[in-house]
Amino acid sequence: MTASGTSTSHREYFWRKLHSFTGIFPIGAFLAEHFWSNSYALVSVEKYNEVSRGLQTIPWRVPLEALLIWLPILFHGGYGVYLWWKGKSNVLDYPWMANWMYTLQRWTGLVAFVFIGWHVYTERFLTQGKSTYADVERALSDPLYFWLYIVGIVATSFHLGNGIWNFLCKWGIATSARAQRGAAWFGALVGVTFTAVGLAIVLGVRFDWKPFEFYTLPRQ
Amino acid sequence: MAEKKTVLVRIKRQLAPDQKPYWEEFELTWRPFMNVIILLRDIAERPVTREGKVTTPVAFDANCLEEVCGACAMRINGKARQACSALVDQLEQPIRLEPLTKFPVVRDLFVDRSRMFENLKRMKAWVPIDGTYHLGEGPRIAPEVQQRAYPLSRCITCGNCLEVCPQVNERSDFVGAAIINQVRLFNLHPTGAMHKRERLDAVMGPGGVHDCANAQNCVKACPKGIPLVESISEVNRDAIRQAIFGWLFG
Repeated sequence: MTASGTSTSHREYFWRKLHSFTGIFPIGAFLAEHFWSNSYALVSVEKYNEVSRGLQTIPWRVPLEALLIWLPILFHGGYGVYLWWKGKSNVLDYPWMANWMYTLQRWTGLVAFVFIGWHVYTERFLTQGKSTYADVERALSDPLYFWLYIVGIVATSFHLGNGIWNFLCKWGIATSARAQRGAAWFGALVGVTFTAVGLAIVLGVRFDWKPFEFYTLPRQ
Repeated sequence: MAEKKTVLVRIKRQLAPDQKPYWEEFELTWRPFMNVIILLRDIAERPVTREGKVTTPVAFDANCLEEVCGACAMRINGKARQACSALVDQLEQPIRLEPLTKFPVVRDLFVDRSRMFENLKRMKAWVPIDGTYHLGEGPRIAPEVQQRAYPLSRCITCGNCLEVCPQVNERSDFVGAAIINQVRLFNLHPTGAMHKRERLDAVMGPGGVHDCANAQNCVKACPKGIPLVESISEVNRDAIRQAIFGWLFG
């Protein structure tokens, strides 16, 4: 990516931009799809299993998973650990809002990376890619797993919401102070929405709560 | 008669760049309108610690004494700011004075900020007009552009924005907000814009604009109220545009 034939190395610039881009696409987009599909747990067990089965039996499954999910997450998380190490938070000296966001972004990223690694291992690999509602229900009946999910979902949702704000500022899409405030509200909305939906799914499975079951039942 | 008011101050001292820092405490007579510079001058007049030990005057850097030169930046009660505009009456005591932590200490509160100058050169944050013949007058600057550029030109290179930046540390070579703001300023200037491409090329290099991680402390710590966050974002926008379209269309 040498723009004008000079010898300046743009390698780090490229990796940084790729890192920030992969957080939104495909990772953020996949998270939206993941929460959408899993929301079928709030409809009915049958519907959930039907949707899971549908996703589990798509053609080219493994190459698609590798290219759109595993590789981007490994890169984003791995390079993210390097960035986490490179920054030195000073939020105790300068406890300003955006500085808190900076620090939380680093730590939630780390928590999310560990959680996602464990989550993929238990729900994708241990189940041979054939996870069902019963598997998820069994996992969540363990209080430790239940709380790990809660922490993981909150951290991941925060990281995505704040990451969208970062993305909009750092790609020069929201430049003025006013635009950045707007972008912050948008990011907050995304974060809160993902947290709410994610927690609803976990609570729905854990406590057999099916708020959207009504339309699956026969007409009276 | 009223009791004589005193000021208590603790100073982190260091006699030479390679020596260990240590703390000294001073108790001074309070004076009206006292600022940190006056306080340090009073110590220089009578360099005796609170315990009565005779010591050396505290070295510090200062010039203008009115917050336009940037030289007297230091950590006052843990916060990076200018000593000249830090009024003793508004500070919690004992007042803690420390040198900036992101620059090498020369002695006591005096740090070497020359890396900022080196980085201005590295990011080509100037307008090159030297040559072998007279270039004539530059293009006129529209008042609207002047109004946008003026706040950016108020930078005094004090280094506060680097001091408060979590991305500026020994593991990173990030140049910091002040330098990126100058890139924006000179890209905005019609003569400077003739080298915009080279400047953006430099700012995408090592330690460049991508090292910003949006903690936005710079804009809060800037004594001149420069819209540093906006500057970084605008340089980011120009850089990404050049990176993508420069690559696609040459």
